Amino acid sequence: MTRHRALSVATWILSRLAPKNERDPLVGDLIEEYALRSNATSSSAALRWYMKQVVTSAPLLLRVRLVRAAWISTIGAALLAYIAVAVAELSVDWAISNWTAVGTFAYKPLGLIMLFPMVILIGYVAGRFRRRAPIVLGVMMLLVVTTMMLSTTESVPPWYGVAYFVMGPAAAFIGAALHSLRPARW
Amino acid sequence: MKTRDNPLGSLEHVVLLAVMRLGSDAYGMTVRREIESATGREISIGAVYATLVRLESKGLVKSYTGEPTAERGGRAKRHFSLTADGKGALRTTHEVLRKMSAGLKGLQPT
Repeated sequence: MTRHRALSVATWILSRLAPKNERDPLVGDLIEEYALRSNATSSSAALRWYMKQVVTSAPLLLRVRLVRAAWISTIGAALLAYIAVAVAELSVDWAISNWTAVGTFAYKPLGLIMLFPMVILIGYVAGRFRRRAPIVLGVMMLLVVTTMMLSTTESVPPWYGVAYFVMGPAAAFIGAALHSLRPARW
Repeated sequence: MKTRDNPLGSLEHVVLLAVMRLGSDAYGMTVRREIESATGREISIGAVYATLVRLESKGLVKSYTGEPTAERGGRAKRHFSLTADGKGALRTTHEVLRKMSAGLKGLQPT
C-alpha cells in the first residue's frame, strides 16, 4: 500500500467514526500536523505518528458517538425495567395466591402494597444505568395502566383502579428522585 | 450542584487549562501540543476532542468554526474558549486541590 493510499484509508476510517460535527476539524488538525511533521522529520515518521493517532483516537470517538445516542439506551433501560416490573407483579400475584389464604378481592391491595417498594427499587436501579430511565418507565406505566383501565371488561372497585393508576408510576418517579438525591460522584 | 461547582476530572482539568493558556489560538491540535509540551505525556487528538465535546456539553467551553484553509485540506478549524462556568469549574477544582494539599509536606516543587 502506498503512503498516500494508507493516509487516505486511515483518514476515511477516522472520519466515519468521528461524530459529524467533529469530523472536518479533527481530520483538518491531523492533516495540518502531518504536514508539519513531514517537514520537520521524515514522511515515514509522520505517517507512523498519523497511524498511531488514528488507532488511539478511534475508540474514543466511537464512544462519543454512542454517548450522543443516549436516548436509545434510555429507552432500552426503561423497557428492561418495565419487564422487571411485570416479572415482579407476576411473582407477587403468584406468591399471594399460593402462600396466603386471602380471597380474590383482598389480595389486590396486598399485591399493590408489596409491589410498591419493588417498583421503587427497579426505578432506582434503572436510574443507575440511565438517569432518565425511571422517568420514562413511569410514563410507560401511566400509558399502559390508562389503556388497561379504558379497555378492561373486568369489574374492579374504583379505588383499586385509582390506586393502580397512581402507585405504579409514583413508585417509578420516587425511584428516580431517590437516585438523583445520591451524593455527587467525581 | 451546578456543573461549575463539581471538581473536574484530571483530563478535563488539563484540557481546560490548555484552552485558557492558548486563548484565541485554542483548537484541537494546539490543545494537544500544549498538553504534550507542558506534561511530557503523549495524548491522542481523539482524547482531546472527546474531552472538549464533553466540556462543551457541560457548558464549560464554547466553540466556533473558522474558515477552511488549504494547508488543512480545505477543512476549517474549530476554535474553543472558556465560558464563565468553565472558569468557575477551574476555580473550584483549584480550591479543592489547595485544601487537600494544604499542610502536606513533600509537595513543594524541587
